[in-house]
Amino acid sequence: MDTRAWIERFAAVIDERGTQLTELDRLAGDGDYGTNLRLALAKVRANLYLDDPRTPGAVFTSVSNAFLHTGGTSGPLFGMWFREFAKGLGDEELSARSLSVAATEAEATVRRLGGAEVGHKTMVDAMVPAARALTAAAERNADVETALKDAAQAAQVGALSTEEMLAKRGRASYVGEHARGVVDPGALTVAWFFEAATAA
Amino acid sequence: MAVRQLVNDPDDFVREALEGLQRVHPDLIRYHEDPAYVVRAQQSDKVALVSGGGSGHEPLHTGFVGTGMLDAAVPGAVFASPTAYQIRAAIGAADRGRGVLLIVKNYTGDVLNFRIAAELAAEDGIQVRTVLVDDDLATDGQEDGAPGRRGTAAVVAVEKICGAAAENGASLDEVAALGERIVSSARTMALALAACTQPGQDKPSFDLPDGEIEFGVGIHGEHGIGRRPYAPVRELVADLTKPIVAALGLDRGDRVIAIVNGLGSTHGLELSVVHRELSVFLDGLGVRIGRALVGSYVTALDMRGCSITLLRADDELLALWDSPVATPALTW
Repeated sequence: MDTRAWIERFAAVIDERGTQLTELDRLAGDGDYGTNLRLALAKVRANLYLDDPRTPGAVFTSVSNAFLHTGGTSGPLFGMWFREFAKGLGDEELSARSLSVAATEAEATVRRLGGAEVGHKTMVDAMVPAARALTAAAERNADVETALKDAAQAAQVGALSTEEMLAKRGRASYVGEHARGVVDPGALTVAWFFEAATAA
Repeated sequence: MAVRQLVNDPDDFVREALEGLQRVHPDLIRYHEDPAYVVRAQQSDKVALVSGGGSGHEPLHTGFVGTGMLDAAVPGAVFASPTAYQIRAAIGAADRGRGVLLIVKNYTGDVLNFRIAAELAAEDGIQVRTVLVDDDLATDGQEDGAPGRRGTAAVVAVEKICGAAAENGASLDEVAALGERIVSSARTMALALAACTQPGQDKPSFDLPDGEIEFGVGIHGEHGIGRRPYAPVRELVADLTKPIVAALGLDRGDRVIAIVNGLGSTHGLELSVVHRELSVFLDGLGVRIGRALVGSYVTALDMRGCSITLLRADDELLALWDSPVATPALTW
């Protein structure tokens, strides 16, 4: 599993479908989500080029720094999420075990900093099920590809579950019922992130 | 488009303004461009104070960097929080090994980005404490889970008084505790006669019909909590002040520091009239104004209007208020 290829695939997926995220944010937020995310990923690409990271931890450090350099609310939260991946994955080859530890720490960090829980219609609705799927895969000694496939599927289900929710946190919480029927773009980004791992 | 602002390019607006500020006060401040923050030209061995937030509230916060106040200020884009990365860099630049107090106005983006920066700085081995400023009564008593009272003009008192204590050699814990005490003793109310206009835009953030004022506004050009017909200043000042007096439980014999603050394009003469009416009103209650600050310090771009902040004061707070300060926007 090549971590850098995973991130490059993630950036490509956001390029391809970024307008979809902006449209979701326009319907349920303030419409700048896709733009901010694309800015962050431009920075990710620049960091990968300049830092030339060779280990999973170093790759995620480059990604984290790029997101922490981005404004708004979701940018820094993603920055701290990726930062936990950087800390948890370190210099070793990716494994279901290391991913499970990193993803669990990462979702806990985002919940603590952002104050959102599952059911609040945010990125957390995809992060938590993905971490649980990785943990389940690690417990049955699954290989890393299978673990990431499970995570992608769980994150996708979690992201789609936000469609019928009323937002309790984040931008969509300001627009109330208007956001019902709209998938949370942050949660969808998380689903696409894991999907990118399976396609990389 | 109606030309009402001196703007080259809205994208360069904040950077160019900060370059200008440095050129006015090279003896007091240094502007670091990427990531953007302003630090004292000369730092001393003491607890460092760092604040910041969206731009558009000048002179807050960059105008309050200097002796006896802030060690660094972190400006975001207009009305947008600075990034966690910017704040972390400013904390690193301000720290002199005695720890850093972050002074944060209560807005979702600021709270989140400063919280993240505080964690990153702690990982860098820097001792960090945070004071959250939430003085705006207009957003008090919201439902559970809402952001709560916004942070507005009381932040000037927190920066001034904590800055003086830090200059006197107080520890990080002492300065943080002092900040908490100021926040719990200060409340603010504001009104607008006209909305503000974003740099490069030609439409104000909201329309206000002739003869009406917006009551309970914040400092981001957002709507207030109510609209009412214009009335003489003495009535408006009484209506702004009554809820503050009630919230602080002020009574005969109490002393306060009063901040009469212009929101951007309110003339000094008007603010003096507001202060006159505030003095008369408080006299009537037997509450004494120990010190007053009257001028435009926490603005909302070019909003027309004012805010009134009262801070319950004692000898200690008054002495720290009187301590010398030398910053671009506040000097005595």
